Amino acid sequence: MNTPTPTPTPVTVLTGFLGSGKTTLMNRLLTEQHGQRIAVIENEYGEIGIDHELVINADEEIFEMNNGCICCTVRGDLIRIMGNLMKRRDKFDHILIETTGLADPGPVVQTFFVDDDMKEQLAINAVVTLVDAKHILHHIDDADEAKEQIAFADVILLNKCDLVTPAELDRLEARIKAMNGVAKIHRTTNADIEIPKILEVGGFNLEHAIGIDPKFLEPEYPFEWGGIFTVPEGAAEFVATVDPDPSMRLVIIPVSAATEEALATAREQAVRIFSATELTEATPGTSLKADSTLHEIVLEEGEMRWLVEFPGAGNFAIFTEHYPEELDLKLLAGGAEMTAHPAAAYKPDHEHDEEVTSVGIEVEADCDGNKLNRWLSKLLQEKGNDIFRMKGVFAVKGNPNRTIFQGVHMLLDAQEADPWGERKRKNSLVFIGRNLDREELNQSFRKCLA
Amino acid sequence: MKSAARLMPERWTQLLDEHTLDLRWSPDGAYLAGMPSVGRIAVHDAETGNPVALLPGHAGGNGGITWHPARNTLATYGQDSTIRIYEAPFVSPTREILLAKGWADRIAWNLDGSLLAATVGRSLFILDGATGEIRQTFSEHKSTICDISWNPKRLREIASVCDGGARMWRVNEGKAIGEFDWGGASLIVSWSPNGRWVVTGDQTPSVHLYETNEGTPLYIQGYETKVKSLAWQTDSTWLATGGGRMITIWPCTGKKGPRNATPKQFLGHLKDVHALDFLPGQPVLASGGRDGLVLLWLADAGGDPSLIARRSAEVTSVRWSPDRISLAFGTADGEVTVCRLNNSLQSL
Repeated sequence: MNTPTPTPTPVTVLTGFLGSGKTTLMNRLLTEQHGQRIAVIENEYGEIGIDHELVINADEEIFEMNNGCICCTVRGDLIRIMGNLMKRRDKFDHILIETTGLADPGPVVQTFFVDDDMKEQLAINAVVTLVDAKHILHHIDDADEAKEQIAFADVILLNKCDLVTPAELDRLEARIKAMNGVAKIHRTTNADIEIPKILEVGGFNLEHAIGIDPKFLEPEYPFEWGGIFTVPEGAAEFVATVDPDPSMRLVIIPVSAATEEALATAREQAVRIFSATELTEATPGTSLKADSTLHEIVLEEGEMRWLVEFPGAGNFAIFTEHYPEELDLKLLAGGAEMTAHPAAAYKPDHEHDEEVTSVGIEVEADCDGNKLNRWLSKLLQEKGNDIFRMKGVFAVKGNPNRTIFQGVHMLLDAQEADPWGERKRKNSLVFIGRNLDREELNQSFRKCLA
Repeated sequence: MKSAARLMPERWTQLLDEHTLDLRWSPDGAYLAGMPSVGRIAVHDAETGNPVALLPGHAGGNGGITWHPARNTLATYGQDSTIRIYEAPFVSPTREILLAKGWADRIAWNLDGSLLAATVGRSLFILDGATGEIRQTFSEHKSTICDISWNPKRLREIASVCDGGARMWRVNEGKAIGEFDWGGASLIVSWSPNGRWVVTGDQTPSVHLYETNEGTPLYIQGYETKVKSLAWQTDSTWLATGGGRMITIWPCTGKKGPRNATPKQFLGHLKDVHALDFLPGQPVLASGGRDGLVLLWLADAGGDPSLIARRSAEVTSVRWSPDRISLAFGTADGEVTVCRLNNSLQSL
């Protein structure tokens, strides 16, 4: 008696600042032969007109759903346009939504949670965020939109990779991973990427994300960067020209060789040194010791120089609280700039008040369904403003099937998935948001265990 | 649920190019116009179902169709922002009017056909019904206009809804004569036949009912989904609302109207109700839903509905003919069917 429920049409949301390459990617998606017919909803101020049969211009219109609560805002224009598109669904297989550079992805994603018709007929394939690898660092600290676009992403394209060095890319990727630990990151030039990596993401897959990207649950470090310099005999100095913070901690550790193994050994040593309470303050013009002393260099306006007291030629590992590029920090020996090799970016443990981070929790045990429901509802109600997205696969006691929860701000959606079968029952969840207290989230979730 | 197939046998079925967006009977009941979401707009002979005209669709998708209230004159409208007006026998448009660029999908003639209203984005255009000249533009809307409804009692008054609720306008006056911004978005609007009420179906699962001479609107919540269909009985006694599977019918008579009243609630559809229409002059309601069912209800008596038809695709439109004997319904796969009463309604 029931009419058959049609398969939901996949929707891909494309976000990214102006100039990040959204239009290039869009044109690729529309012109390459991938066998899918795509309907495009383009923001009204799109960078270029796209010659395509089904392009609809949208003027961003926010509908408030619950007395102005920002967590419950949806995009009215998308409801209207997609409602219209779904009345000609035989004409296309996929909907692509391009947002403006400054758009908050929250209301876009929330629309798929809140509107009855959209929930039933459409499914988010992925939020794809393009990041201009060259310029993102210039506005990431000042623009909430950039952070939110990264936080909401299922897929991130680090685009324009040809304009930056591999070390800069490592550093940027580490920073982005700290903000959103579950997004799949691809490095691209000219938004050149295999189309299935954009159109066939298939919604959020937590297990996939954790399974292929162990860095998501890797330890955090009190520094963001480390590298080994092979320095010659003679005078050497650090030079910096930018002062993003009042000070920065760094340590210089002698190592036996310029190898990955030596860097890994020194890294563990550096963790212990950074946890020391004793700091040696170093104002510009003073010198730094290369003997594992934890220095706090004081940053001022203009060019700053510190003499480095290397005991002689050799290999020295240097670990810095922030990425050297942030303060344009260079090591000069004999007047020439030195390059670190090997070098690595690390997932930092320090969080600024407004920093966007992700917290992953994995526990091999069954949880109590009622306790889990109450905890998630209370958590999202109280902290929904700061939690951009929440996703989790849970092993609920007594339930042979996996239970999947997805949340956007205060909105929560639960679905019964496939049976656990032979797989080890466990709970895997992740929160992406601001001001997240990792310890508190861990502890409070553990109270939900059966 | 009892079958009403004998009471209302199907007379004919035709296929539109796409999803049925709307069906409209001509004022004399001789024609039924069927508008698909994209493609040709069909004008059917109401008796046989044969298409007497297949009018070109609008580039970018069709939006709305409206018959002149007294003549067999049809206006079609769509995303190309072009109004095309056809006179029977609908060979070619007698007039084409291009409005501004933007989201264009609502069009309606007023009660005597002297004015024609059409929406583009946040603007409501009022045109002279005879010449097509733009008489006035009401542009003070917070977002794209979702729906419009003329006052059936006052020729120059029209209501529009968007994010921010409803506004009432009077042609020749610059400012809104009524403004009900309740902080959310309203999607559909209908002015009661007696001109007393303006009702909106909202994005949040709610209905707002404004008594036009009172300041305080009635805010009705508790619907399962957003309210996508509204219908008035022609004497304004009953207001039918569809939000979710349930049809909720409010009494709108007396001094208080639905205030503190207990509505009638009809549950028969298995999925969301998409379309409602009262038989003119009778408390008989037709409903169509996502479950593919077309049902008939006695609004004042309640009880089980009568099953008129069952389709595999969702029913998107139901319309009674002006001669009160035929019911047209359309589906998401473009099927248009007309059933005709061949017995007394007492047997329902």
